[in-house]
Amino acid sequence: MLTPELGMSNDFKVEVATTQNRGFTPEEIAHRCADRIIAISDRADPVLQQQAYAFKNEMERVIADYMRQAISSDRTTVYNALLEAGNPELAELIRRL
Amino acid sequence: MAFTGNFMCTSFKQELLQGVHNLTLSTGNAFKMALYTNSASFTAATTAYTTGNEVTGTGYSAGGDALTNVTPTNTGTTAFAEFGDLTWSTSTITARGALIYNDTAAGDPTLVVLDFGSDKSSSAGDFSVVMPTYNATSALIRIA
Repeated sequence: MLTPELGMSNDFKVEVATTQNRGFTPEEIAHRCADRIIAISDRADPVLQQQAYAFKNEMERVIADYMRQAISSDRTTVYNALLEAGNPELAELIRRL
Repeated sequence: MAFTGNFMCTSFKQELLQGVHNLTLSTGNAFKMALYTNSASFTAATTAYTTGNEVTGTGYSAGGDALTNVTPTNTGTTAFAEFGDLTWSTSTITARGALIYNDTAAGDPTLVVLDFGSDKSSSAGDFSVVMPTYNATSALIRIA
């Protein structure tokens, strides 16, 4: 049987997130990351929905935690690169961030 | 002259049937997102990237930035495709909307027009365009 119609919709929506005089925090990015990984239907069974939200919140917390560790580790790399390039004051500034 | 909503470009639908676009990750075409001010006027009839009314500002280069393809997949009878989120870091820009276009194909043909709903601004900060959930009901590009 042939499908009578192929449809492509304009019904899509992107969000825009911006910051002023700072970057996004690990928590802000982790929230977006969790949204990207897990979608919870409004029509899901309430008990399953509750479990899914709990799982999502925990996922968000773990992602943010590891992001902070990654940031900290990357600052160590930048610190050493600046130190080796002869910029100890700049390196110290990065270390104290 | 202003943005009047989101549009799937009609030329994109035709070009899909002509095999112009390949949205596969790594082996597919290169796609970009360009930002525009509210002076731009795009509709479903928009066919290609243009520099007219494109955003200017710190951290933004003409032509926009590269998107990361997400390999098309399907759920049930709906096939869908999307791109990863895109961020202009340490930027100072104001944009009302965007075009996604194929930077590999001749003539930079457009896929979709994105209307942000209002002017969005970053100031010495980050400007992120966050894509919808990647599923059969929300993804950016869906064929049902």
